Amino acid sequence: MWKYSKKLMDHFMNPRNSGQLLNPDCHSEVGSPQCGDAMTLDIQVDDEDRIAEIRFMTFGCAGAIAAASALTEIAKGKTLEEALAISNDQIVEFLGGMPKEKYHCSVMGHEALSLAIADFRHRRDSTAEHLDSILSEIPFDLAAAVGNGSISIEHIHPLRVFVRLSGGDEEPVTAVLEKELRKRTGKIVKVSVTR
Amino acid sequence: MKIYLDNNATTRIAPEVLDAMLPFLTERFGNPSSFHSFGSDQMEDIEAAREKVAALLGAHAEEIVFTSGGTESDNMALLGAMKINPLKPGLVTSRIEHPAVLETAEYIKSKGHPVGLAEVNSNGTLNMDSLESCISEQTGLVSIMMANNETGLIMPVAEAALIAHERGALFHTDAVQAVSKIPVDVRSSGIDMLSISAHKLHGPKGVGALFIRKGIEIPPFMLGGHQEKGMRAGTYNTAGIVGLGVAASLAVRHLSEENGRTGLLLERLEGGILEKCPGAVIVGADVERLPNTATVLFRGVESEAVMTLLDMEGICVSSGSACSSGDGSSSYVLSAMGIDAVDANTALRFSLSRYTTGREIDCVLEVLPPIIEKLMEISPYA
Repeated sequence: MWKYSKKLMDHFMNPRNSGQLLNPDCHSEVGSPQCGDAMTLDIQVDDEDRIAEIRFMTFGCAGAIAAASALTEIAKGKTLEEALAISNDQIVEFLGGMPKEKYHCSVMGHEALSLAIADFRHRRDSTAEHLDSILSEIPFDLAAAVGNGSISIEHIHPLRVFVRLSGGDEEPVTAVLEKELRKRTGKIVKVSVTR
Repeated sequence: MKIYLDNNATTRIAPEVLDAMLPFLTERFGNPSSFHSFGSDQMEDIEAAREKVAALLGAHAEEIVFTSGGTESDNMALLGAMKINPLKPGLVTSRIEHPAVLETAEYIKSKGHPVGLAEVNSNGTLNMDSLESCISEQTGLVSIMMANNETGLIMPVAEAALIAHERGALFHTDAVQAVSKIPVDVRSSGIDMLSISAHKLHGPKGVGALFIRKGIEIPPFMLGGHQEKGMRAGTYNTAGIVGLGVAASLAVRHLSEENGRTGLLLERLEGGILEKCPGAVIVGADVERLPNTATVLFRGVESEAVMTLLDMEGICVSSGSACSSGDGSSSYVLSAMGIDAVDANTALRFSLSRYTTGREIDCVLEVLPPIIEKLMEISPYA
């Protein structure tokens, strides 16, 4: 038996954030074909780019399961940038140490997190591109709703887009604009107005 | 209280064995090679032990050399055979042998001699065609284990010995796991050399024996004193040898009746696991196995995680995975059978002994299924 810390054993016996999310914003699957360990990660990101929900599934030893549990605890509430900076040492420290031979178990969690965040960014990029192409040429039927103002992108989430209307000489009809953009992008759209 | 189901790793010393050994660790500390009777009287005890080991194997006493255990016996046989005939230094063995054989084979290969590793079939049995094709003019020894330590699968040693002899090679078998669990008879099986280890049959650690058929001359393995007719120098491990002798006698006495009982307990364990753990697969279920060993794949659940939870309940088993030893590679035995790394790392080995009780088996069948279920819930393979 490995000499595991109390905290590590607790995370192994009672893993935090295990399972899957029904509607994850991003997902990753990693595995080590050499020793067969595998892990999946589901993440929901809020509109401030923070990890709101995170769930893992792991096939691996006690160390691997505890490391995945620890990773999710550390990552929850962090922005994506902050989450990417989580180091293996941080996971090991969080668990009150780990046998040296088991350090490699913590690497898988890190890899899964990087891949999930990359997946999120990829989805966000394609949403942004799509939105850009729609906004680059405001169709004639939307001109009235925009009220001659200009539209800028505030924030993009793979499932939700936030745009801002500014300028213009007529009262914009945000409800119409939201509905039309939702129809065209397939995303939830929020429009805010700056006069 | 521990439930010990890891008897292929080692066994508890039988009380009769310990009783027989104690005098040699206390008052009777003399050296059997001494002139004075205080020491030399012990040669009688050593020779009595030799008779008992010979009786277990169907051998003659003068064909038994005492060693420090299975590893030394394997080394002595393989390295000795390499030196018998300079025209035939080659070795043929199988992919699923114990490291004591495989690492020695690697050494023989590094000396520039031909070494062949026979394949096994997907059900774990030895591939006889592969064995035949590995043997060449230069093969001096064929070494095939009698039963595999990880899976308990019994190898066709008599058939392999026949093939070896037809091709002009000697035949050795690592019988460390088989002896005391199945009947062994070196004469009818055509075995030239055979390795055993005391601690696998309720004897002490650090002692074993090599059977060398009369007429086969291999060079001494340890150089030094004249012990064991110069074959194996070093002061006699009297207590250990006496312990091995008693363990051998007990094995003879218990072989049929006790193994029948162990076999029934194993069936109960396997049946219970298959019933209560959906997806469990018994390795080599349809081929001949030792009556004490079951290796089970709990597909989707990593074995070390299961072992860790079982350990907390005082249940000792072992795994087919080597991730537990930290080198991150899975079992070469299961891999040779075509089982992939993921499945191999779900393998748990249960090995029983004559001291295993029905209550212990029932306790395992209570504790194990919820553990598998719990880990299955967080498995990405489920």
